[in-house]
Amino acid sequence: MKPTWDIFCCVVDNYGDIGVTWRLARQLVAEHDVAVRLWVDELAAFVRLCPEADAQARQQWQQGVEVCLWPADWQPTAVPDVVIGAFGCHLPAAYVQAMQDRTVPAVWLNLEYLSAEGWVEGCHGLPSPQANGLRKVFFFPGFTPGTGGLLREATLLARRKAFEDDPQARQAFLRGLGVRVHEGARLISLFAYENPGLASWLDVLAADTRPSHLLVPEGRILGDVQAWLGESGLGVGSVTQRGALTVQILPFVSQDDYDRLLWCCEFNAVRGEDSFVRAQWAGRPLLWHIYVQEEYAHWEKLEAFLDHYTQGLSAPAAAALVALWRAWNMDRDMGQAWRELLAHWPELSAHAERWCAAQAAQPDLATALVQFCRNSL
Amino acid sequence: MKTGKELKPGTVIRIDNDPWLVQKAEFTKSGRNSAIMKTKLKNLLTGYKTETVYSADDKLDDVILDRKEATLSFISGDTYTFMDTTDYTMYELNAEDIESVLPFVEEGMTDVCEAVFFEDRLVSVELPTTIVRQVDYTEGSARGDTSGKVMKPAKLKNGTELSVADFIEIGDWIEIDTREGGSYKGRAKV
Repeated sequence: MKPTWDIFCCVVDNYGDIGVTWRLARQLVAEHDVAVRLWVDELAAFVRLCPEADAQARQQWQQGVEVCLWPADWQPTAVPDVVIGAFGCHLPAAYVQAMQDRTVPAVWLNLEYLSAEGWVEGCHGLPSPQANGLRKVFFFPGFTPGTGGLLREATLLARRKAFEDDPQARQAFLRGLGVRVHEGARLISLFAYENPGLASWLDVLAADTRPSHLLVPEGRILGDVQAWLGESGLGVGSVTQRGALTVQILPFVSQDDYDRLLWCCEFNAVRGEDSFVRAQWAGRPLLWHIYVQEEYAHWEKLEAFLDHYTQGLSAPAAAALVALWRAWNMDRDMGQAWRELLAHWPELSAHAERWCAAQAAQPDLATALVQFCRNSL
Repeated sequence: MKTGKELKPGTVIRIDNDPWLVQKAEFTKSGRNSAIMKTKLKNLLTGYKTETVYSADDKLDDVILDRKEATLSFISGDTYTFMDTTDYTMYELNAEDIESVLPFVEEGMTDVCEAVFFEDRLVSVELPTTIVRQVDYTEGSARGDTSGKVMKPAKLKNGTELSVADFIEIGDWIEIDTREGGSYKGRAKV
């Protein structure tokens, strides 16, 4: 009999929480022969990632995962072998009571957000014995062996390689999105939160001697793109040119198509957690727009990642990368930082592949979770 | 009830009916991660020690403890002997039991501490919020700053290092806030 898992996802905002939990659920089902029930409190966000899903269904099956609406009026349900509360979400009180009533205790995990900060290793896998006698465990994704690793499907890098080795597949994918790239143009994807620094980056791309084609999936950055273009009401399919820069608005695509989009591009600007990790698996230079927190708490997280990521880069290339990421995340001028980054492009490209390979050498998050639970059950 | 965020060294919480003493508590809040408290716990019945993590809003059963005033009598190796200031009873603790306040415990200190008892057994000692210590070593003032905003490292008699204002000199007495690891408050009037 298959082990049964429940994953609880509370959609706070955007698509990071549901993006990570949906990806994890799919991988557990596909690769680890686990029966997964994914509880989501906002199905509309889920439908954006899984367009074939029904935003009204209280229960549905998608890609082998039982997706359930996490209702405000919680109804009693059987507690499975493993329970994951994603990102510190609070499980329904009646469900926690049912966990207590279970003869064999369920493994209860609190899956945390991704961070490269040093304290993560010290907290990963530690128990959190609760007043009611239940034992929760904190599970931290991360970039080092002392953490839970990153979400990565077993065939991901092989699929990427096959896609890259097949120019027709690339062309067909881009054509399917309505993208026609001029010969020699630099293809860039842009997925970010609102960012006042965008204009200075687009200015320098438009003035560049080499053409750039910027692909912008629908999202929060669209307002800044429109403001820079001086056009309102840009929709999916809009293609606008300013100097050497072509800007194209894309639909919000599925997770698998977003991977392909990242693999097509020379440079990927990403945000939050899920797209940030996928851009690293794409093995291309990237730019991370970190989720902003009160009192600039996110800066330490940003710097911690940069400390890891820049290891092995020459000092000038590391400085250029750090300057660009800081400019993007601290609303500074992107123009000069971008020009300096271009001067180190070959080194940064090779480094992105090395980083990808080094991360892929570690166990992935889903495998680490399964191993942990097998040892705990 | 106490929340995870309220845990601090000396707190005793009940888990599965056993009393656990919080020996160390480190609060972390970063990025989108939930605020967490990493703790080092000691089972007061078995002596077993473990590390745990709590979310800031986790609710935990705390144990009501007795508290008495006590002063440090003497230190012998890793053993710290405190004396009840009212009935002169002597109590011993080892260094690990007072790990969180250890940087500010030194021979000859006269601070009136709070001795924390669980079922008549001394389990921990808490220092006053503000203590006064003498600077044993620090470099001379580098910039002649008198504002107190420029900081430099200094060492106390027991070897503890902390940052002090640039104008502090060797032999000066300083006030230290003992909460959250201990930090320089200002020059003490002795």
